[in-house]
Amino acid sequence: MSDLKGLHPNVDDPAQAGFWEAARRGQLVIEKCKPAGHVLHLPRGYCHLCDSFEVEWVPVSGQANLHTFTIVEHQVHPNFPAPYAVVLVELDEVPGVRFLGNLPGRPELSIGMRMTVTFDALSDTVTLPRWVPAQDTVDSSTE
Amino acid sequence: MSSAVWEFKDRCAVSGIGNTKFSRNSGVSELVMAVEASRAAIRDAGLQSNDIDGIVRNDADRVTHNAIADSLGISDLKYWGVASAGGSAVPSMVGQAVGALLSGQATNVLVYRSLNGRSGTRFGLSRAAAGSGDAPTVVGGQGTLDEYFQPYGLLSAGTFYAMLAQRHMAEFGTTSEQLGAIAMECRIRAHANPNAMMAGRELSLSDYMAGRMLSSPLRLFDYCLETDGACALVVTTTERAADSPAGPVLIRAVAQGMGPGIQAGRMNTTLMRETYTTWPSAYAAKTLYERAGLGPEDIDVAQLYDCFTITVLIQLEDYGFCKKGEGGPFAESGALGLGGSLPINTGGGHLSEGYIHGLNHVVEGVRQIRGSSTSQVPNAEVCLVTGASPPATGALIFRRAS
Repeated sequence: MSDLKGLHPNVDDPAQAGFWEAARRGQLVIEKCKPAGHVLHLPRGYCHLCDSFEVEWVPVSGQANLHTFTIVEHQVHPNFPAPYAVVLVELDEVPGVRFLGNLPGRPELSIGMRMTVTFDALSDTVTLPRWVPAQDTVDSSTE
Repeated sequence: MSSAVWEFKDRCAVSGIGNTKFSRNSGVSELVMAVEASRAAIRDAGLQSNDIDGIVRNDADRVTHNAIADSLGISDLKYWGVASAGGSAVPSMVGQAVGALLSGQATNVLVYRSLNGRSGTRFGLSRAAAGSGDAPTVVGGQGTLDEYFQPYGLLSAGTFYAMLAQRHMAEFGTTSEQLGAIAMECRIRAHANPNAMMAGRELSLSDYMAGRMLSSPLRLFDYCLETDGACALVVTTTERAADSPAGPVLIRAVAQGMGPGIQAGRMNTTLMRETYTTWPSAYAAKTLYERAGLGPEDIDVAQLYDCFTITVLIQLEDYGFCKKGEGGPFAESGALGLGGSLPINTGGGHLSEGYIHGLNHVVEGVRQIRGSSTSQVPNAEVCLVTGASPPATGALIFRRAS
């Protein structure tokens, strides 16, 4: 995927930096509150159930299922040539926690299919987690 | 909560409406269009510009309250408000006007929306910077949460709504043909409306199905238009509106709705909610019907926000015209036609009249209650007008004065 010029995520937002630091290490994390382990997704640095600002980044496995997708056929941005797929996956171990991803071309996709995370180093400081069909894991390794 | 807080029922009204021509290239500024539509609305209300002492604008509008007050020569503006966000905020623009009127902060409130949406900034293109040279373009941060979405190419509303449509199809068996029924119904209404951009351009189901796939499963005619144009209205008390040439169109109720787990951000973050096939529209609907003392069975005609066909389909469910998941069969049942149980988007809607970001739906709702629509529903007494969702949204009900 690194052949796409794409857009790089800002990794400096203090509320989100932990996610991107983990991605650089090749780890997928989600935010939870420390008092009770409530999932805080998307990350917001505060748990209203516990009225607590005590939060932490917790590793999760990168196994997921495809929740929805689209094949973009009409280009809307110069850095994203069509066609490409935008996918939304939901983590197996934390139902309701979802992440976006994309794939080049027009891949064969169906809602519910197995997806797994890969880590795409866009630069020395920025790594973007991506999601690929599970059987493709080995072939799509960026290492 | 005491029911007393809801008693703005029928106490305010629309006294004037106006709009410009809708086109692909207005050739004039957004300010000039806003003035043209506003002047038309003010005249229609039987007023002079200087009778306006309140303004509500939309956060997406580049025409500020300063700019339009100055252009119109308003000498003593006493109230202005800004509603957010974009097309989801249009009914609540009217709601803010009601609040200003009933709290005594204004007597005649101008509401407008003006955009060169085709010749100027196009909604159909990504507004993310393209960057130049070899340096990467960085997106997101500062609380926007865009960094979780835009790097994956989720860069336009069409791509976003396509993902919702795909999921709705998987959950409920919704079909492209059902989406097409909505596009065709709006197009038929446009044929009767000389100001509709797509008037006279026939659209059959085979035309719809042959439309270019833009972001699967959404095709060309699932997308609304991009339009240059402006709309405006004057909102005042029902008592004062009784003196207007066309008479009052009562604001039966307005409501905003959000629901739990809304997520920060504007639109893309919707995908992280517990569900994204039921929208804040369902919460706005519940409050709206309670405040109005009416239900979906009382709605004679509806102007449903239609940035995309799927937007209409999900609102049919959320506003209670059919059960969750049955929007598709309902849409192709004929119910949405002029002789059906719920005629919709009688000016042609955003899909076929023009995209004035929701305000042309409000203007058309007023026309239905006045009896002056180009696709008039016989004896229309109650009209629903909705704002965009799944962003937190709003809706209103107009009623004919008895």
